[in-house]
Amino acid sequence: MLTIENLTVHYQVLGGAIEALTSVSLSATKGSTLALVGESGSGKSTVALAAMGLLPAEAKVISGRVLLERDDMLAMTPAARRALRGTRVSLVFQDPFSVLNPSLRIGEQVGETLVHHRGFSAAQAFARAVELLDEVGIVNPAAVARAYPHELSGGMRQRALIAGALAAEPELLILDEPTTALDVTIEAQILSLLERLRETRGLTMLFISHNLGVVRRIADEVAVLYAGEVVEQGRTQDVLRAPMHPYTKGLLAAIPRLGQKKTHLAAIPGRLPDLRSPPAGCRFQARCPFATPASAAPQTLLDLGERHVRCTNAAALRDAVWPAATPMPPDAARSAGETVVDVAGLSKSFTRSRGLLGALMPRLGRDELKAVDDVSLSIASGEVLGLVGESGSGKTTLGRTILRLIEPSAGTITIAGETVSGRPQRALVPMRRVAQIVFQNPDSSLNPRKTVRELLGRPIARFGLAPSGEIPSRINALLDLVRLPSHYAERYAHQMSGGEKQRVGIARALATNPRFIVCDEPVSALDVSVQAAIINLLADLRDRLGVAYLFISHDISVVAHLADKVAVMYRGKIVETGASDAIMNAPQHPYTRRLLDAVPRLDDGAD
Amino acid sequence: MAAYIARRIVLITLVLVAVSILVFAITTLLPANVAYLILGPFAPPEQVRALELKLGLNDPVWQQYLRWAGAFLSGDLGESTLMNRPIAPLLMEALGRSLVLTCVSFVLIAVIGIGLGVIAALRHGRPPDHTVSIATYLGIAVPEFFWAIVVIVIFAAWLGWLPASGYEPLSAGFAVWAKHLIAPTLTLVFGHLAHVSRLTRSSMIEVLQSPYVTAARAKGLPERVVVLHHALRNALLPSITVLALDFGRLMGGIVVVETIFAYPGLGRLVVFSIQNRDIPTLQAAILVVAAIYAFANLVADLLYAFLNPKIRFGRHAA
Amino acid sequence: MPPEGSVFAPRKPLSPQLKAGLAITGAIILLGLLAPWIAPHPWDTISMRTRFLPPNATYWLGTDEYGRDVLSRLLMGTRLSLAMGVGATAFSLAIGVPIGLAAGYFRGWIDEALMRAADVLMALPPIMLGLLVLAVTPPALWKTALAVGFVYVPQIARLARSVTLSLANEDFIQAAKARAESTSYILFREILPNAWPPLIVEASLRVTYAILLGSALSFLGLGAQPPSSDWGLMISEARSFLDRAPWIAFAPGLAMCLLVIGINLLGDGARERLDPRLKARVKA
Repeated sequence: MLTIENLTVHYQVLGGAIEALTSVSLSATKGSTLALVGESGSGKSTVALAAMGLLPAEAKVISGRVLLERDDMLAMTPAARRALRGTRVSLVFQDPFSVLNPSLRIGEQVGETLVHHRGFSAAQAFARAVELLDEVGIVNPAAVARAYPHELSGGMRQRALIAGALAAEPELLILDEPTTALDVTIEAQILSLLERLRETRGLTMLFISHNLGVVRRIADEVAVLYAGEVVEQGRTQDVLRAPMHPYTKGLLAAIPRLGQKKTHLAAIPGRLPDLRSPPAGCRFQARCPFATPASAAPQTLLDLGERHVRCTNAAALRDAVWPAATPMPPDAARSAGETVVDVAGLSKSFTRSRGLLGALMPRLGRDELKAVDDVSLSIASGEVLGLVGESGSGKTTLGRTILRLIEPSAGTITIAGETVSGRPQRALVPMRRVAQIVFQNPDSSLNPRKTVRELLGRPIARFGLAPSGEIPSRINALLDLVRLPSHYAERYAHQMSGGEKQRVGIARALATNPRFIVCDEPVSALDVSVQAAIINLLADLRDRLGVAYLFISHDISVVAHLADKVAVMYRGKIVETGASDAIMNAPQHPYTRRLLDAVPRLDDGAD
Repeated sequence: MAAYIARRIVLITLVLVAVSILVFAITTLLPANVAYLILGPFAPPEQVRALELKLGLNDPVWQQYLRWAGAFLSGDLGESTLMNRPIAPLLMEALGRSLVLTCVSFVLIAVIGIGLGVIAALRHGRPPDHTVSIATYLGIAVPEFFWAIVVIVIFAAWLGWLPASGYEPLSAGFAVWAKHLIAPTLTLVFGHLAHVSRLTRSSMIEVLQSPYVTAARAKGLPERVVVLHHALRNALLPSITVLALDFGRLMGGIVVVETIFAYPGLGRLVVFSIQNRDIPTLQAAILVVAAIYAFANLVADLLYAFLNPKIRFGRHAA
Repeated sequence: MPPEGSVFAPRKPLSPQLKAGLAITGAIILLGLLAPWIAPHPWDTISMRTRFLPPNATYWLGTDEYGRDVLSRLLMGTRLSLAMGVGATAFSLAIGVPIGLAAGYFRGWIDEALMRAADVLMALPPIMLGLLVLAVTPPALWKTALAVGFVYVPQIARLARSVTLSLANEDFIQAAKARAESTSYILFREILPNAWPPLIVEASLRVTYAILLGSALSFLGLGAQPPSSDWGLMISEARSFLDRAPWIAFAPGLAMCLLVIGINLLGDGARERLDPRLKARVKA
C-alpha cells in the first residue's frame, strides 16, 4: 500500500543544509500498521510531511519515491497530489489543540473534505460529520458538532480530528504522535478507538511515535529511525523482544519498566551527530558501546531474514545486551531518617477576579478553582515520595505550594522542623536554603543572560555559604556532582542541550545543600535516552546526599522506578498513598487501577 | 458575552470621566491665570476681572469642574471667548464635516490597507510583497504635513486638478463638494494605509504558518478555500483592533490636514482655539474627540468579541 | 561568548536591511553632529539679495524667503530633530519602563491602577494630547520635547508591561523566588537584562514617532519658534511659497523621510535579529 523508496530530504539553513532524511526506505502492506519510532531529531515527522507533499519551503526532496499503491506522490503535479490528500491519504497531527481552526465549528471542520472532494453540500457534510463523531465515540455528537474547538477537552479534540481524517474514506492513515499530548488514560482510549477503526474500515496505518509501549500495542511492524536513517525494521514483537541494532538495544534498556527489578537505567551517552555534515560511517558509532573499526565504513541496511538492520556487526551482536546497568542499593540499605517535610490539610483555591470590576461586583467577576484539596503527606530524609497525576490533577500546584512559591489557602507546612505556613515571606529565608526546586522545562529554568558560573554561584553567595574566594571550587564540585565538565562554567543556556541544562538546574538546586528538593517533572521534556541519565543521576544523589525528594511526574513508570512511596493525585485530592511496590502491584483505588491499566507496557505484564 | 460588553461600557465611561478631569485640570490648573491666558498678558485689570467673573474662575476648583461637566452633559458647551457665540452649534457643524472626512478616509484605509496586506502576505517574499513593503515604509516615514504639501504641489499647483484648500457645502453641488474633499482624503489615506497593511500582512503570514492551516492543506482543500475560509478570519481579528486605533490616529491626523487645507472641521477648530487662547472651545472640542475615539474603541471591542468564538461562547468544556 | 539574544552576537551576518539602516542613520547623525563645521553658509544670516534662489552651485539646496541657505539650515535642523527624537524617547523610557515593570511584575491593583491611568492618557490621539499640554504655556522646543515624551509614556509602559509579564512566567524567576531574592534583585538582575532587547528596538522606532510628532507640533507653531531651523517650522514657513520655491519645503521634508526610513530599517533589522530567539525563549 505505502512504499517509500530511498527518500532523501535536506533542509536549507543558514550556513548549509541539514540532511534530515538519508535514503529512507519503508513499506506498509495493505491493512497493516507500520510504526516509525525515533527520538527528537530523528526525522520521523519529516517522513510524514514528505509523504504528503507538505514540506515547508526550506525543505527539499533530493531523491526518492513515495508510492501509494503504484502512484508516486512526489512525481505528481501539485493538483493531483492535493486531490489525494484527504481522500486516499489522511494525516492526523500531534497537537490537537493547535491543529483545529479556533474560529470554525467542529462539525464543519470534520466534514470539510466531503464538501471539497466529494461534492457534498454543507448541510450534507455536517450531517455526515455528526455520524462520524458518533463513530469515534463522542457522546452527544450533535452538540459537539456545533461547538467550537476551545470548548472541547484534549481527548475529544483528538477524536474529532480522527473523525475528520476518516471522512472521505482514505485507505492510508498517517498519524504523527497522535497521543503524545494526551494523558495516559485518554491515550489508552484513543488507541482502542484506532484499533477498532482499523478493523471496521480496513485501514493501513503509518504510526509515528517515540513511545515504544504504544508502538508495541498498536503496530504490526516497526521501523527505528536514528539521525535520519532507518537503522532497524521488522515485526514489532521481534524487534522489541530481541533488538538487533545497538541503538534499539540502548533505547529499550533506557526505558523504566513497571515492576522491573530496580537497577540503574542504561543511558545512551553522547549526542546526535551534526546533520549538517554527518559522519560517513555509522551515525551511531560515537555513542555505541559495540563499535568496531568496521563501524567507520558506510553502513547499509542488511537483510537478515524478516529483519533489516543497518549495522555491519549485526550478526555478531545478535545476542549482545546493552551494557548492564548497576543495581541500585536495595531500599533497606538506605536508612530513612527523620521527617523532613510534613504537610497537613493543605489546600489551594484559585479565584480569578477581573480587576476593578471584580472588586466592585463580585458576582460579575469571579471564578473559583480548587487546585489542591486538603492534602496531607510527609517525607523523611533520604526518602523519595513520588507524586503521580495527570494534567489538571494539581500536582505542580501542590509542589509549589509546599515551598510557598504559591500561597496556600489553608493548611500547615513544616520543613526541617520549622513551620513554614502562616509566616510572612521574609521570615522564610532560612527555609529557602533548606528546600529547593528543580523545574520541568530546561528552556525556561535558566536565565538566558547568565553563565553557569553565575547561575551556580548566586545561591551560594546569596546565603553566604562560602567566602567569595571559595566559590569557584564549590562550583566545580557541583558540576562534578552532576557529571558536567568544569569548563561548562563559562557556558550560556543556549549553548547547552536539554539534558545538560537540566543538570545545571539540578546543580543549582543542590548549591545550597538542601535537605528537601521538589522535582517538578524534571525529565518530562527530555528524550528517553537523556531521561535515563538524569533519573540515574537523581537516584545517585539521593543515595549519596540523603536529600528528601518530592518527585512529581505524570509518567508512572518513571515514578515507580525512583520512588519509595507513591501518592496518586486526582483533581486536587490524594486518592491513594503507599509504598511504591504496594501501589504498583496491588492498587486499591479505582483511579489508580485505571491509571496503571492505561500505561502501555513493554513486557507482558507479569512481574 | 453580555458580561464582557457590560464591563467594556463601564470602563469606557470611567475613562471618559477621567479624561474630562484631565482636560479640565490641564486647562484650568496649569496656567497661572486662565483669564490672562485668554486675554493676553497686557489686558487691563477690569477686563480680566470681568472675564473671571463671567467664567466663574474664582470658585473652588471642584465646583468649577462640576459646573462645567454638568453643563456639558446637558448639552451646553459654553461660549467661545473668541467669537462670543455658543460653542455647541459651532462644534457640531465642525464635527459633521470632520466625520465626513474621517469616515470616507477610514473606509478607504480599511479596504485598501487590508487588501494590500493580504496580497503582500500571499505573495510573501516575491515582488508584489516587496512593492507593498516599500510603499508602506514610505507611508510610515513621511510626515502627514509633507504628504499634504506633495499633494498640493502635484495636484493643485502643477496639474491644477484640485483646489488647494477650502470647503464648499453640499448645497453648492455634489461635484464641487467632492472636489474639495479629495485632496485631504488622499493625504489622510496615504499616511495611514501603512499601519493597517503592515499589521494585516504580518498577521496573515503568521496565520498561514499556523498548524491549523497546514492541517487544512493536509486535507487537500483548494488553496483558495484555505486562504479565504480558514486563514483570513483569524488573520483579520488583530486588524480590527488596529483599525479602531487607527480611527483615533485619523482624528489626530485631521489636526494637521485640516489646517493645511483650510478645511473647517474639528481639527482646525482645535488649532484655532489654541492659537487664539479660546479655552472653553478647546476644552469642548478635545472632549468631543475623546468621546468619539472611545466610541470607536467600543465598537471595535464589540466587533472583536462577536467575531472571536472564545469570547462569544465562553470557556466551558463540553 | 555573548548571550544569544544580543544584537551583536557575531554569528549571523547583518541583513541588508540592517546595513542600510545603519548607513543612513549613521550618516545623518554624523552630518548633524558636524553641522556647525561643515555648513557652507551661516544658517541665520538674512540677505534680501539672495532670496528664493533655486538650487545652484553656491547654494546646493537653494535659498529661502530671507535669503538664507537651505542646506545649512537643514544641517542645523538635523540636530534639533535628533535631539527631539532622542530626548523625548529617553523621557518616555525613563518614566514608562519602571511603570511597565511594576505593573507587569506586581500585577493586582497596582497593575490595574497604572493601566487605567495609561488608558486615560491614550484616550486622546497623541497630537491632541500634545496640543492640550502645550496650549497653556508659551511655546519652546524643550517643552515640546517633554510633551512628546509625556504623550508616549503609556505606549512604552504597555510594552514594558507585556515583556515583563511574559518574563515573569519563566521558571528562572520562580527559581529566584525560591532563593528568597529581594524584589529589586529580581526586577533589576533577572528581568531587566532580558527585557532590554525588545525595549531598545521599540525605543528606536519610537524615536521616529517622536520626530514626526515634534515636527508636526512645530509646524503648527507650538514647538520651535522662528528663526530656528527646525524642519517642521521650515516646512510651515515654506507653505506660502510652494508655487515659486518648492525646494524650501521639499528639502526638510525629504530629509525627515530619510531619517525616519533609516531608523525604521535599523529598528526592524534589529528586531528581526532578536525576535526568533526571543520568541523561542519567551514562549517556553
